[in-house]
Amino acid sequence: MKRSFADLIVTPNVFFQQLMVEKENIRMPGLIVLAAGIIAAAYAYLIGGLTAKLMAGILPGLETIITLTSVIGAFIATFIIWILASGLFYAFSFAFGGKGQFNRMLEAVGYGYLPQVFGTIINLIVASVFLPRVIIPNLAAASAQDPQVMLDATKALMHDPAMMSLTQITSFVSIVFLLWSANIWIFGVKYSRGLSLRDAAICVLIPAVGYSLYSMYVLTVI
Amino acid sequence: MKNNVFNASICLCLLVISMTVAANAYTTPESIVASGKVYVSQVTYDPAVFFTDDTGTVTIDVTNGNSNQSIVLNHATFSDNNIRRMSGTYDTSANIGPLQTRSFVFSVAARASEGTYYPTFSLSFRDADSLWERTMVQVDNTPLELTVQNKPDTFTQGSKDTISVTVANPRKNDVKNVKVEVSGTGITATPSTIFIGKLASGASNSVNFTVTPAQETTLDLAVKYNNGDNIHTVTTDLPIVFGIDKKQANPVISNVQVKSEAGIYHITGDVTNAGLEPANSVIVTTLSPAVPHDPYKTYVVGALKPDDFASFEVTFSADNGSTIPLQLSFKDTDGNVFTSVQDVKVAPGATSSQKNGDTNLLPVIAGLIIVGIFVGGWVLYLRRNKK
Repeated sequence: MKRSFADLIVTPNVFFQQLMVEKENIRMPGLIVLAAGIIAAAYAYLIGGLTAKLMAGILPGLETIITLTSVIGAFIATFIIWILASGLFYAFSFAFGGKGQFNRMLEAVGYGYLPQVFGTIINLIVASVFLPRVIIPNLAAASAQDPQVMLDATKALMHDPAMMSLTQITSFVSIVFLLWSANIWIFGVKYSRGLSLRDAAICVLIPAVGYSLYSMYVLTVI
Repeated sequence: MKNNVFNASICLCLLVISMTVAANAYTTPESIVASGKVYVSQVTYDPAVFFTDDTGTVTIDVTNGNSNQSIVLNHATFSDNNIRRMSGTYDTSANIGPLQTRSFVFSVAARASEGTYYPTFSLSFRDADSLWERTMVQVDNTPLELTVQNKPDTFTQGSKDTISVTVANPRKNDVKNVKVEVSGTGITATPSTIFIGKLASGASNSVNFTVTPAQETTLDLAVKYNNGDNIHTVTTDLPIVFGIDKKQANPVISNVQVKSEAGIYHITGDVTNAGLEPANSVIVTTLSPAVPHDPYKTYVVGALKPDDFASFEVTFSADNGSTIPLQLSFKDTDGNVFTSVQDVKVAPGATSSQKNGDTNLLPVIAGLIIVGIFVGGWVLYLRRNKK
């Protein structure tokens, strides 16, 4: 039966119901996560570039290392989070007597990554607007000897008005799209682990809502 | 043996007699008249007036006033007990042609106290008697006068001030290579050496220089000059004592207010010039531990005339509760930079403006509402689905 991404977004219940009759295949979810990873890497390139400029004066070449590390880290982290989220839901579902292969769970969670792609694109656009306005403190090579100076410079960067606005907007966007993904994951967990809707909602909402609340807490302390 | 001694005595007598006859052989009435026309045309001392123990030269020009007869000279010397000749005499025969002048130069040393002295120059003619000439020279120990013409009422540490000094020559002769040297511990003088050159008798010359004292000290002023080839020095000291310039600009910060916005602190206030002179290039900024931040890392107030005031604003990031040094700097009319630091307490409660709270909490509140709606919606959906 032919399914579309529109079905996944609008009627995830029907989408996963139809998906379960087929053999598990993580190629399409993997492509979705790959897309999310590429966009996350682009976003990390912008944010990492900021940190790289901050540290550029300390050591020649450090700028490239920081940027590369950020890009590669964000790309790999997307896949790691995919596996971790799948493992978390898989583990939680055991409490409710869930049954099914882990690959099926990976498949369902991978599909649920689709809203993350949209969310990261929006964050990328927001970052490209706000980052040029961020004023980066200049650190000299001697600053590396004084951790307090490094700390002060990092604080100054984080407290830059444009940076603060960027952090707040992207955090809000991330929470919204995480909840959208959670909405999809609930149905994915339900069908991939054979749980009731209530049990699946508990399995997904606890970590998703918990992470959202943590993100908001972080916003209040920076 | 006796015959030999006798013969030798006879020979010696004949030799003396023959030499005496030879010496007087050219002395004729004409030669005596001719030698009478030889005269000392000029006597020049260098220096013109000596200090005690100075060395110098005396140049004596001898002119042959005969228009058609040369004069042969045997010996020339210069002598005095006080103005002592240091060089040798002229012991070889020399000829002065008709209407010609010949110079005799002697090195002399003034081994005398102040006064006027009359050394003698003597000249022996081959065909006549000698010429004697008394010269006059003075020994005067009056040095150059060094006067501080103008200096600031008070000196300030690190402040550049101009000092004017006058060098006067009260001596009867000119001096040369006059230069003023300025020195002192912890003092930067510009220029440290000022060359004046020749200073005529009775003349004076004023020079200006700037000094920037780093500490209270003594300014050493020295005038060095040459009297002839003799180096002499006149020194004077000028105490550099710091004080408060009663007229200087005095910018004062007041009406200080601190607020924070998005993690960036803003300090606003007024700067008033409470001094009597203008304060130029007034700049306000923050020092460590504050990290100056745009848009107002530093605030250039500009020039403030006496009693003028202007507002300022500086932005920075810092830890809550810390004390921030606020630095105010300005320049006086000479470009000297003065700085003052005033501590400002950044109290967390008093400094966080309402806007700051709104900015931080708005996305959090929005996020909570979204999460609440999402969870609430699912709870309702599950209840309805259960029924």
